[in-house]
Amino acid sequence: MAGFSELIKNYEKTRDYIRDFFIFGFKVRNEYDTKSSRTYDDEKRRIESWLGEYMTFERSAKGQHTAITADSGHIAENPLYQAFRSRSFTDNDIKLNFMITDILFGAGELTLRQIVDGINERFNETFEEQTVRNKLKEYVGEGIIIAGKSGKTAYFRLSPDNVGDFLSEYKGLSDTVKFFSENDEFSVIGNSILKSADMKNDIFLMKHYFIVHTLEDILLYDIIRAIKEKRYITLVSFSRKNKNKFFENKLIPMQIFVSVRTGRRYLAGFHTEHKFFTSYRLDLIKNISLCSVCNEYDSIKQTFDRKKKFCYGVSFAHSKEFRENIPMKIVFRIEENEKYVLDRLNREKRCGTVEKCGNNLYSVTFRIFDPNEAMHWLKSFFGHIVSIEGTSDEVKNRFYRDIQDMYALYGGYDDDGIQ
Amino acid sequence: MTVFSEIYGTYFRITAKILEKNIINEKEIRDIILENGFRDTILFLEKKLIPQKNGDWGFLKKIGNEKFQRKTKNPPVKILTKLQKSWLKAKLSDPKIRLFLDDETIFRLNDRLADVSPLYSRENFLFTDMYNDGDNFGDEKYRENFRKILSAVKNHEFTDICFVSGKGTKIKNRFLPLKLEYSRKNNKFRVYCYALKNGEISDSGIIGMGKIQTVSNTGIIYDKRIDMKEYFLSRRCREPVTVCVTPQRNGVERFLTEFSSYEKNTAPDPETGGCIVKIYYDRQDENELLVQLLGFGPVIEIVSPPYFRQLAADKVKKQYNMIKDISGV
Repeated sequence: MAGFSELIKNYEKTRDYIRDFFIFGFKVRNEYDTKSSRTYDDEKRRIESWLGEYMTFERSAKGQHTAITADSGHIAENPLYQAFRSRSFTDNDIKLNFMITDILFGAGELTLRQIVDGINERFNETFEEQTVRNKLKEYVGEGIIIAGKSGKTAYFRLSPDNVGDFLSEYKGLSDTVKFFSENDEFSVIGNSILKSADMKNDIFLMKHYFIVHTLEDILLYDIIRAIKEKRYITLVSFSRKNKNKFFENKLIPMQIFVSVRTGRRYLAGFHTEHKFFTSYRLDLIKNISLCSVCNEYDSIKQTFDRKKKFCYGVSFAHSKEFRENIPMKIVFRIEENEKYVLDRLNREKRCGTVEKCGNNLYSVTFRIFDPNEAMHWLKSFFGHIVSIEGTSDEVKNRFYRDIQDMYALYGGYDDDGIQ
Repeated sequence: MTVFSEIYGTYFRITAKILEKNIINEKEIRDIILENGFRDTILFLEKKLIPQKNGDWGFLKKIGNEKFQRKTKNPPVKILTKLQKSWLKAKLSDPKIRLFLDDETIFRLNDRLADVSPLYSRENFLFTDMYNDGDNFGDEKYRENFRKILSAVKNHEFTDICFVSGKGTKIKNRFLPLKLEYSRKNNKFRVYCYALKNGEISDSGIIGMGKIQTVSNTGIIYDKRIDMKEYFLSRRCREPVTVCVTPQRNGVERFLTEFSSYEKNTAPDPETGGCIVKIYYDRQDENELLVQLLGFGPVIEIVSPPYFRQLAADKVKKQYNMIKDISGV
């Protein structure tokens, strides 16, 4: 383990390991797609160091199973944020951080030369002007330092926005940050504000909380920038079955589709080569690079907005029935004392239309690209489904076969035999 | 600008904590690292902070036996970065913000962040399956109730709450609100609380914020320690639901992703190549769990407990009988 560090420069590889330890807690070492066992050992040791209390190790005949276990409904802080706090840096990075800000504290505006001399006098450290200039430029970009000019001379001063003062100046803002630090995309940024102010979320818990999403937030930043700037992107994704097999595609990014039920998130966009709308799972994207501005962005976005109304989930693949304008209609039997089922239909119908169509009968009608996507949801209404119309025999037959298989699975045919 | 930056990192944060003190000893340095660092941080960071012959960062100088003085003149600054401001700006357009901030504060914040571009806009995201009967965050009465309960949670204050239960019964009682829970799927808040009977804590409960009609803060503070583990344990299922997940239709990955928010144990199932999962849940969520499991169809099998398996079997049987005539199964 010579040269091992718990800090990392590149987030991509570690992201996959954390995800696998969290989602597939039962995998053993040789089931990971790694180039060497050393890589696995280093990644495992690093993640253990970050997330020690959430790691479990169990032995079976196959080997040791390493898992991250966290009951996300009962935790006040997403433990996977730790991965974001492990960025490696140089000695100069940390020295300059504390030295520059100390020199600027209470000093008003200083020139580069004054800062370099100040560091030399106070800390007995000599830095090249260029090194300090680069760090100042970086911190101006981060908003920690404000740059100005007087004639030809550049001046630097500290931003006056102290985290603690900022939070206490606006009544209720601390609670706001506590709430959003565990909710929605980029919540890790909210958490970074709390950390900076030495505060913790001690009020809120989240149900249906997919803590693993935070690992993909690093991609979102670039995706959103590309959307904002109406740019093409090049996207490198990997295969679900083989993480060492990569695919490169050029896309015009449109929107992030989030399933709050299944926990999957997708980037939806227009595939420039194949000329159709499609979507990519965020957790299967390795990296993204921003390309040139797309001049046709607005018109493609208009088409996208029109089309996405027919997406049940994320599929833009037109079924035969959609092309022939045949809607899918599902009829449900809901008894008088089962109002909660009707409530469920109404709140979960998405783009469907609910209508009463008989005595205790209700229909939901969808006009969607891919009826197959609705089947998972439909099965959650078992015991109420009377009929399905307007979808292919293949989809219907698979649904009926599923019922048959489940009937067998839960001993239905055995009961028939007994009767 | 990225959140994966050393300026938000653990090592920078620990160093800032240590430099907050003008004089510090070795034990205090170690304690801060152990308390705030990763498991192995002490191996790497201590020697960078405590003065060595060479190789340390030069932030401290030795002034006596195991005592050190910082070389920085001032405690480290903690500045709200551009990234953090742009995140805050994005949150200002979330309807839930009005639960926490009044209109005047939102106005002042918007003004203060006028030059900041929001990190993202709400239109960048589409929540494909969020329920459409979420709480009405814009409702004045809802916001008033929310704030009273938020205050009670923060102060451990007994609170009189009148609400309509899931069965439609109006309930008025004294409660001790413990935490606020939000579900993005339901787009609703709920209150975790203890109910009081004859002035004593009698039972744990969960109240939907949208079902609450009135809230009165009593001013009476509960001064004992609140143990959330105890609360959750009191609500936990007696026995976990055991499910066999097969690898068909990518079942294992789909299942484990969808159920990643549950407390669970997973073990490989050598027979099917899939896995066996034990799921622990709040008793109040039992029906929700059953419905969610049924959605996976024959890709999974609910194995135990017997009564839970029977609930699934009954629904499947009912469904089979409803459709067998038309499907030809």
